[in-house]
Amino acid sequence: MGQIVLDKVTKSFGETQVIPPLDLKIEDGEFAVFVGPSGCGKSTLLRLIAGLEDTTSGKVLIDDEDVTQVSPSKRGLSMVFQTYALYPHMTVRKNIAFPMRMAGMSEQEQEAKIKAAAESLNLTDYLDRKPGQLSGGQRQRVAIGRAIVRDPSAFLFDEPLSNLDAALRVGMRLEITEMHKRMQTTMIYVTHDQVEAMTMADKIVVLQAGVIEQVGSPLDLYHRPQNKFVAGFIGSPKMNLIEGVEAEKQGAHTIGIRPEHVEISTTEGLWQGTVGVAEHLGSDTFVHIHGVPGCDPMTVRAAGEFSVSHGDTVYLTPNLALLHKFDDKGLRIE
Amino acid sequence: MSNRSLPRLLQTPAVILLLIWMLVPLSLTLYFSFIRYVLNNLRRPEWTTPSFSNWRGFGNYEFVLNSKDFLFAIQNSLLIVGSILFCTVIFGVLIAVLINKSFPGQGIVRVLLISPFFVMPAVNAVLWINMILDPVLGLQGLAVNGINDMIAGLRSTPVLGAFFSLWPEFEPISFRATQTSAYAVIIMVTWQWTPFAVLIFMTSLQSEDQQQKEAAILDGAGAWSQFRFLTLPHLGRPIAIVVMIQAIFHLSLYAEIEIVSRGNGNKNLPYLIGEFANNNIGAASATGIFAVILANIVAIFLLRMIGKTLME
Repeated sequence: MGQIVLDKVTKSFGETQVIPPLDLKIEDGEFAVFVGPSGCGKSTLLRLIAGLEDTTSGKVLIDDEDVTQVSPSKRGLSMVFQTYALYPHMTVRKNIAFPMRMAGMSEQEQEAKIKAAAESLNLTDYLDRKPGQLSGGQRQRVAIGRAIVRDPSAFLFDEPLSNLDAALRVGMRLEITEMHKRMQTTMIYVTHDQVEAMTMADKIVVLQAGVIEQVGSPLDLYHRPQNKFVAGFIGSPKMNLIEGVEAEKQGAHTIGIRPEHVEISTTEGLWQGTVGVAEHLGSDTFVHIHGVPGCDPMTVRAAGEFSVSHGDTVYLTPNLALLHKFDDKGLRIE
Repeated sequence: MSNRSLPRLLQTPAVILLLIWMLVPLSLTLYFSFIRYVLNNLRRPEWTTPSFSNWRGFGNYEFVLNSKDFLFAIQNSLLIVGSILFCTVIFGVLIAVLINKSFPGQGIVRVLLISPFFVMPAVNAVLWINMILDPVLGLQGLAVNGINDMIAGLRSTPVLGAFFSLWPEFEPISFRATQTSAYAVIIMVTWQWTPFAVLIFMTSLQSEDQQQKEAAILDGAGAWSQFRFLTLPHLGRPIAIVVMIQAIFHLSLYAEIEIVSRGNGNKNLPYLIGEFANNNIGAASATGIFAVILANIVAIFLLRMIGKTLME
């Protein structure tokens, strides 16, 4: 079990309120991702759940039990930190054993759990090494191993992949997702990377300045962003937001169209512009176009190869059915 | 060939200077330790100038080894150094952990804590032996008298009086006495050098990883476990450094021993050298060679220990 509920939780550091009253429910077995730009309060929120920060007001409930005043170790949660936070003078074996040792578990039990964790994380050959002798990915796996052996009701991940290089990050992303599918334990994952959020989450919580902008499944957020912030944050490359005359034509203050929903042509189309930079990825071509009224530059994603170069004139036609409309407060218009 | 010899040539002045610096005093000491050389002798005036014709072989060494104070001085050197190291490291760790938390007046407290280190050793000794440890006029005498007076007063109370009349009268301890003068030196040097340990441990504590602590909290480690399994191993290296530096300094303690008891009941090798050097330079030099050997033995032990912590 691992249902986590935040009930009107607030957090202030001195006079500054970083999290205004916030309600959130994470179901048992769910993979929830907190995503937002840096400084949006997502890590603070995670630390409130872990108990590493005290709430200023409001309640934290785990499985319907109020744990607001319960010490971090008694909440039954495991946390994986961005810097791994391994104990540098202990071997991998001792690192993984540490929570069990603190809980006073017997040696045989510890050994069995270490073995199981090491096998599932490919760490068997490294058990007698120290963290300093491991690569970043291996260290992160040790940190996960240390979290697993506690049999927590939920895992908390605080930007666990930020210190890894791009290739490793993709691999670890898959490993963590697979681990979740296998264990079916609640996981809360904090990241600033919307790709991680989109690929891993059952439920994404988009935060800005301590306020939840939208909660929903990845595709929900992609297809129906509730406001301009979510629209701009989710999706890569970013959604094009157009203001002014073109938006008014559609009866909105701002209209948004994703780069993949604009058709690009060298001969004819609704809007006209000149090519700034074309990024050829092989599978796709991202073209940045200047001169479209209300949006400069506009990014367009063309499938496959699309040969244009700097200064070429191109014509764009948005798919009007997939247009997002927002009012002057930035909220979605249906 | 030539691109190697030029740098070597340029290094030579420095190397030669260093060699002279080390070798001249050492070889002079060795030379004096093998001849009869005294500052004043009316019957044998030829011994007052160093010369190979006064060759004594290992006679000086034999004389030192057979002198009644030699073994005692070695034991006492080790006792003093060991006790000071033990006390400064323990107090240093405790105080450093205590003041590592932020509290109002932190800056002032830190400066005050470090101030004993700026007191000169001789002043430190005079201060302690006369003003604090003195059995009559020092704080110790006053405190013991105060306690005795208080107990005497309590003896006349109705109910508890019988209980307190069983208590003995406390005697102040004379720290200049043969049996206690070494402890006086240990106390005052510990007081002076604990700030050094605190200073080093404090800077090390500030570099402790906070996420590791948070991870340990989530892993269920209490305050003691965090200290035992995270802070103490983190302090391993600074402890080794403090031990090594202090060992070097305390093997050559002199001023404190001189001021506390003039060597009464409390000699170390440097003090013994000083005593011989009043007249018998040959014996003093032989003791100096023994001191070099002792320092090297201690250094080898310490280097082994520190080498181990650095390996980790």
